[in-house]
Amino acid sequence: MSGGKYMVDGKNQSLFKEKPIKILLAKPGIDGHDRGVLVLAKAFRDAGMEVLYVGLLPTPEDVVETAVNEDVDVIALSLLNGAHMTVFRKVMDLLKNRGIDDIAVVGGGTIPDEDKPKLESIGITGNYGPGTPLSTIIEHVTKRATEAREKKLR
Amino acid sequence: MKEGILKSDTRSMARAISYIEDGNAEIRKEILESLYPHCGKAQVVGITGPPGIGKSTTIGNLAITLANKGKKVSVLAVDASSPYSGGSLLGNRIRMQDALFTHGIYMRSLANRGARGGLSESSMGAVNILDASGSDIIIIETVGAGQADLDIMNLADTTVLILGPGLGDQIQAIKAGIMEIADIFVINKMDLDGAYFAMKDIEEILSMDDPRPMKRTVVGTSSIDNTGYTEMADAILGHGKFLEQTSSIGKKRFLMGARWILEREIGRSIIDPVMELIGKMGPDVNAYKLAEELVSEIKKNSITSIIK
Repeated sequence: MSGGKYMVDGKNQSLFKEKPIKILLAKPGIDGHDRGVLVLAKAFRDAGMEVLYVGLLPTPEDVVETAVNEDVDVIALSLLNGAHMTVFRKVMDLLKNRGIDDIAVVGGGTIPDEDKPKLESIGITGNYGPGTPLSTIIEHVTKRATEAREKKLR
Repeated sequence: MKEGILKSDTRSMARAISYIEDGNAEIRKEILESLYPHCGKAQVVGITGPPGIGKSTTIGNLAITLANKGKKVSVLAVDASSPYSGGSLLGNRIRMQDALFTHGIYMRSLANRGARGGLSESSMGAVNILDASGSDIIIIETVGAGQADLDIMNLADTTVLILGPGLGDQIQAIKAGIMEIADIFVINKMDLDGAYFAMKDIEEILSMDDPRPMKRTVVGTSSIDNTGYTEMADAILGHGKFLEQTSSIGKKRFLMGARWILEREIGRSIIDPVMELIGKMGPDVNAYKLAEELVSEIKKNSITSIIK
């Protein structure tokens, strides 16, 4: 169990009064391995977030369209196939073209250390690899989501 | 934001639904009151049924069929929130995503956030936003439903119950509750053994004395064989036409909307603080007597000044 605030029997309703973080998990492009993303989906759920996972092989366009339709706070991108520099950047470009700056984007997967600063520079943070504790990821996502929320309230 | 919604701009619609979900009373009031004159045109189609029966997959196929008939369709899907963490896995979209994008259909997932009855508190407001955006048909999917999750009957103009093979015999089919509220029955997974028996069971029940003004129908669907969706769409549109003739589109929805606002706000402004007070009073206070006394006190305040 990962950082969730657990409810007390009979007093559950009050927890629903605060707005949960809404997060979209996506593996854009050609990548058929979703064990990791399913583990994350459940961990985010247990941390009290509302989690969307759109399945395998969405295009970057699908990812952005979903994020807009669902009004998410965070897009979490994951890739294991090495195409992150191309595909993650495409997602960022699409967001930029639509003038969207109030959705945070975080990354993860098998991302070489030398690529991490490059991703950071286009606004994709985290970029965690295998073995990262779930609590570290949840903490980072929560921080980015809070920043995104502040932008929405402008 | 209102202009955006009326022009069917997805960003404005999505953000407005978030405000409704947030439960900020001021914003909710502003949005819903200003959109009210633009609501009441769409046919709201509620899709309910047990978990895993194929509601989301069916909606994906149904939405395409309706879109191909020239209808502007939008979809709302409610999924369950965790009673432990408050989180939710909104898993409906994954079943219909591809279908929706190729046809430009707006779809939004909602967590039920502890609400009982198969919907979320925000469902009514979200439906009105989609209605104002110019949808002809709004499909709303309930949380996987049990026998007494009946809220959908008060929100939807047309309630569709999806069942499948192996869910029980004719006794199950004449049980009260969810079996009664359907305007249209769909037997999904027609490619599986026993599906025709399930269909026959429902048909036999419907051939008994049925008090409904419009004869109810049963349709069989299968996503594996991609069959039955035209019949399902025709049944829904047929029911919509019947409702139009009796000018009852949207009527239930507005009544329910008003009731939800009353129940929630009276709950929060009166019941919650009173309960907190009673909780602090200690065991020698007769809580039942106190509650009865409060009710008679509240009833003394006339509401005729608001409702003329």
